[in-house]
Amino acid sequence: MSDTTITIKRSTPKETPEQRARKRLIQFIASGVVLVLYILLAAFVQTKNPQGAFILLIGLGFGYILQRSRFCFTASMRDPVLTGSTSLTKAVIIALAISSVGYMALQMKATGLSLEKLGTDALKSVTQLPGHVRDAGVHTVLGGFLFGIGAVIAGGCASGTFMRMGEGFVQQWIVFIFFIIGSVIGMAVLPAIKSVPFLYQATPVYLPKLLGGWIPAIIFQFGMLFILYIIADIYGKKKSGEL
Amino acid sequence: MSEKKKYQFHELYLKKEWSYQTGAVLLALFSLALVIVTGKSWGVTGPLGMWGGWILSKLGIAVDTWAGFKATPVASYDIWKDLPALTNIGIVVGALLAVLLAAQFKIKKLKSIKNLWAAILGGLLMGIGARISLGCNIGAFFTALPAFSLHGWIFWISIFSGAAVGSKLLVKYFM
Amino acid sequence: MAEKTLDCLGEACPVPLVKTQKAMESMAVGDVLIVNIDHSCAMKNIPDWARSVGHVVEIEEVAEGEWNIIIQKMK
Repeated sequence: MSDTTITIKRSTPKETPEQRARKRLIQFIASGVVLVLYILLAAFVQTKNPQGAFILLIGLGFGYILQRSRFCFTASMRDPVLTGSTSLTKAVIIALAISSVGYMALQMKATGLSLEKLGTDALKSVTQLPGHVRDAGVHTVLGGFLFGIGAVIAGGCASGTFMRMGEGFVQQWIVFIFFIIGSVIGMAVLPAIKSVPFLYQATPVYLPKLLGGWIPAIIFQFGMLFILYIIADIYGKKKSGEL
Repeated sequence: MSEKKKYQFHELYLKKEWSYQTGAVLLALFSLALVIVTGKSWGVTGPLGMWGGWILSKLGIAVDTWAGFKATPVASYDIWKDLPALTNIGIVVGALLAVLLAAQFKIKKLKSIKNLWAAILGGLLMGIGARISLGCNIGAFFTALPAFSLHGWIFWISIFSGAAVGSKLLVKYFM
Repeated sequence: MAEKTLDCLGEACPVPLVKTQKAMESMAVGDVLIVNIDHSCAMKNIPDWARSVGHVVEIEEVAEGEWNIIIQKMK
């Protein structure tokens, strides 16, 4: 790429260096104000909830990380089809693999190495396990499909919508309002869906239980993630003409 | 010279975007820290229905009598004890801080009426979808799939197919 | 050598990228496309895509939070 013929730096900057320096200073001061207000909020929430300040700190981290790395779950599922890029998909798979290791350790502690604690008084249902083990079925497919369409059209998934609200996107503030309205509609119709046996299966499926132990579950989980990573890598390279 | 150095510091530590991999590793670690300390996992969309219900109840609509609110009545909802509600506030403020520190904050207005329709339709579909599948890309995916739950895998495949259809619609109607 | 400007200010992902891809298709080798964006994600995914396809890319920051992405079609 060294033999470039491109003539760059032709457009005139919209801001002079002085204007830029001023903007930096103003926004830096504003960030300080925001931070102080947030700390006050955390101090207040701490009086209501002993874990409040910690949760707010982690949440702040989520927002900062999502924005700084331009991480976008929607793009990770949209771009392979729309643009042929799989770099975010691969990053999501890495995050899933790391999280899996953490949840595996937490759950092994809760279930016992051969799942012997599952079903005892201490751990009646798999839904009590660390992480979200929830009902799997046709409703998951239906909800996921609607959610996927919505996320692409709205220009951001759930976490992405909140992140872009912070970035100053008017569009995402409108999404937020209708996200709330949609959620209320969803909550209102869920009992009706639950009453149709074809649409809703009240069966949380826990892979170590389904596959008969931790070892096959670990092989499935990490094996699938590994295979998907390889597929994403090859697909991405093919689409960009590298292969 | 010192001015230049200051800018380099700004560029490197506050502005330069991180790689997706860095984001992935940090998100996973923060999400694990949350569940290790609090025992509860990260979610995003759960509170949205409750907030909507709260607004409706303030408008005089008795949502708590609806079947959908039976399990989690608005009357006993406490936002300060709701983990996803707190992390949602954190995400907004965290992203705001990130753009302010990078000196890139700007109100980004809607470009056209199409963006408005996209926001309305997209928001509604996400809200309905998330409640039907019991979670969003975080609660039914990012903290479900790694928790060895089958519904996390099913949700992933479903979002993928939804996103493909959404892309077609977007290119056709919202661009 | 033709030059074209694409105004994507205020547009959210993936619209700027899709528009860029479309515009690039209609251009000849050697032509230059300038994309105006203020969406921080597009600032990453447009250059990523263009580089992966093999075009020459320059990112210029015209104001804080606003960029011109200059892409020269290479093939």
